[in-house]
Amino acid sequence: MNNEAKVKQALGNSLKRKPEDLGDDTVLKDLVAESFALIETVINLQEDLSIRLVQDDLRDVKTVGDLVKVCARQL
Amino acid sequence: MINENERWILSFYRTSEISGSLFFGRLAKSLKAGPIQHDMTRHYADEAMHAWYWTDCLDKLGVEPLDLGKAYQDQYLAAAGMPVNIMEILAITQVFERRVINQYAMHSRSEGIHELVKSTIDRIVEDEKWHIKWIREALKGMETEYGKDTIDDTVGRFLEADREVYEKTVREHEERVRELFPK
Repeated sequence: MNNEAKVKQALGNSLKRKPEDLGDDTVLKDLVAESFALIETVINLQEDLSIRLVQDDLRDVKTVGDLVKVCARQL
Repeated sequence: MINENERWILSFYRTSEISGSLFFGRLAKSLKAGPIQHDMTRHYADEAMHAWYWTDCLDKLGVEPLDLGKAYQDQYLAAAGMPVNIMEILAITQVFERRVINQYAMHSRSEGIHELVKSTIDRIVEDEKWHIKWIREALKGMETEYGKDTIDDTVGRFLEADREVYEKTVREHEERVRELFPK
């Protein structure tokens, strides 16, 4: 499994969705409407993947694909 | 027994405590086992109890809580951006907790405060002191991983956002605030 697939798997676990249902173009705010839920998702990803993100990393992240790329770079 | 402005502010506190509790509860569930998970779980439980204290206080004062929709914390994210790691979350929480303790202290000193409101604040403030202490120590412990300068910068950034949100809230509710806390 490549790094991007690992991230998508972890994201699917956090959101209780199948990874294949998480399209790269899906806008994160459509997937996780509430801000606190989005924070929880990002923390879950870091805990699951043992990576560390900072606010700057996510400044331009809008879609699932953007988030997956940012996290995969750290694996 | 209390007027509408007092009912509003106690409802405001209640909403804020509920929001904090839900947030920390979710985080406590997400974090791996360790000292931060341990203390955050207690923090979550404290905030839930505080929401109960305000609910009970309002009930004993003979009024129902107002439904205020969004909590004070929700505005933080708009002003400061979303915290994305546990250090940033603790930094924003540290700033928020200081604001809370100052607000409660100001209210506790206000003229004509109802004894029940004062005793509820005093009870909550004891927990708030511990919240500030555990977070300060946790942030200190993160200096090796994140760097002291980064942590200080993050706290500084959230302090700016806190000032902005507080001033905006005071402006929005100027009449209530003026009556409750005259200079």
